[in-house]
Amino acid sequence: MFNYRVYWTFTKKSFLRSSVYRFDVWSRLGSNIIFLLMWGSIWTALYAGREEAGGVGFEAMLTYIVVSQFLTGVNGAGTPLWEIQEKVRTGDIALELMRPFDIPLRYLFADIGSVAFYIVTALLPLYTVLFIFMDLALPTDWLTWLYFVVASIIGFMIRYCIEMSFGLLTFFLVETGGIEDIFYFAMSLLSGSVIPLWFFPDWLATIALYLPFQGIYYIPNAIFIGEIAGAEILVSIGIQLFWVAVTYMTLRLIWNRASRKVVVQGG
Amino acid sequence: MVPIIEVEHLMKDFKIAKRETGFAGAIRSLVKREFITKEAVKDISFTIEEGEMVGYIGPNGAGKSTTIKMLTGILVPSGGSVRVNGIIPYENRQKNAKNIGVVFGQRTQLWWDLPTIESFELLKEIYQVSNERYEENMATFTDILGLDEFLDTPVRQLSLGQRMRADIAASLLHDPPILFLDEPTIGLDVVAKEKMRTFIKEINKERNITVILTTHDMEDIEKLCKRMVLIDHGQKVYDGEISVVKDRFGKIRTLVVDLEESDCILQLSGGKVFKEEGNRYWIHFNRDEVSASELIAQITSTHNIKDLTVEEPEIESIISRIYQEGFQDLPNPVKV
Repeated sequence: MFNYRVYWTFTKKSFLRSSVYRFDVWSRLGSNIIFLLMWGSIWTALYAGREEAGGVGFEAMLTYIVVSQFLTGVNGAGTPLWEIQEKVRTGDIALELMRPFDIPLRYLFADIGSVAFYIVTALLPLYTVLFIFMDLALPTDWLTWLYFVVASIIGFMIRYCIEMSFGLLTFFLVETGGIEDIFYFAMSLLSGSVIPLWFFPDWLATIALYLPFQGIYYIPNAIFIGEIAGAEILVSIGIQLFWVAVTYMTLRLIWNRASRKVVVQGG
Repeated sequence: MVPIIEVEHLMKDFKIAKRETGFAGAIRSLVKREFITKEAVKDISFTIEEGEMVGYIGPNGAGKSTTIKMLTGILVPSGGSVRVNGIIPYENRQKNAKNIGVVFGQRTQLWWDLPTIESFELLKEIYQVSNERYEENMATFTDILGLDEFLDTPVRQLSLGQRMRADIAASLLHDPPILFLDEPTIGLDVVAKEKMRTFIKEINKERNITVILTTHDMEDIEKLCKRMVLIDHGQKVYDGEISVVKDRFGKIRTLVVDLEESDCILQLSGGKVFKEEGNRYWIHFNRDEVSASELIAQITSTHNIKDLTVEEPEIESIISRIYQEGFQDLPNPVKV
């Protein structure tokens, strides 16, 4: 009984809502740039004038950082974890549960709206300029760009499913500070968002490769800089698709249990 | 008449973690938690017919909201059965959602940061209301509720009165046959309350919408409902016409007299002074045992009366007496 118009309305409305908070857009962009500068200088210092480290050239590494910050911008603009926690904590989730729509999907589409607004108004202009004026290793053929876009979108979906699943744990726990920490830790380290997987010690790299987080940052990024190339690309996207399926099913499972276990705060 | 809501032997238990006190207790509760079961709703049955407007009342913590939440499908009952417009709410929450409108006085269903009209448009899509019906409804609601003053204002900047008007309009946009109102007049001023009541009365009459009203404002009940369901400690203690309660409990009237002198000791047969302030005296009497004029005659034989009034018992004072004194004397429920 999927009615696409219902959900699409959420995308439109949250796009609109994002435009109300323009300061929020600018401050996110500001912090995005600061982190970009920070990681840029750290990696420049780590390379210390060397052309290559871990089999990857400096230019490619720098590109990895820039793309990673871009993807951080995209994935950070969606905030289902925070929103669902807020709704459960205040009890407003009750009102959402009384509506004829599916809550995980409703938040996904709303998320797409706020992310789209941020991409269009802030990320694309900034990163277009960076891509043009910085010495970066950009893909030369359009197919790689296409794979990158596809992999990024799938990555976004994986992140959404995982983040929402963590958010839904609020139904069972009420206090979720610890859960949040685990989520953000996994998101920043295991996804390869700040350190590419090839620099990981073997044991950690193995762990990361068996987890879904690498699908969010590492795979699209490695495709972009050519670390993943040729037939490997399709294999990697296949792995991503596998994780979308798994995380989505996990999300549904948690949601089914959560919605049966509503304890609305107050009254 | 067709029953639109059927509730039978409804029960709901909550498990609540027992908090231990003190430092040692806090440490202990990290490892091992004990739960106590609280029966929020013990055994409640009632039926509501199409087009009825019923006051669902009880003191805080009586189980009112819990019942409403089971009727809307967001809580799963621990026992018994619920049927709302032929649907079991918790099994088919989304379908049930289309049949009900809900207003919580304490929360808003509107998007906080967007102009009010955007929330209406969102709801139009969510409930797939046709363009014509949407326009019609908006025109009617704008007319009665004066929505046009603030349709372009973001919800967070609305006054409470405006927000409530917007909220009730929002709950009716999809023409639900059933409307749940949870304290719809809380915090409103007298004029706004009156407007809200008029509106509720009108939509109940003109659209034949079944209304269940939860409130602590007895004036709401008195002005809007013929029937009330009174619950306490998760159980139904009265279900029937308000006038019956009023008659039974309303036998106790209050005579207020201002005498010329203060500190009098009034010995009256059939009446009892329960409060005095300066030279004003409040006297309870049972109108079946003694009439007001007999009582006044008794007083005038020994004192000079400057002024007097006989107060009609308001449902509010009746209910507060019932809450305090218990329910033993209540007339048997008219409906079961």
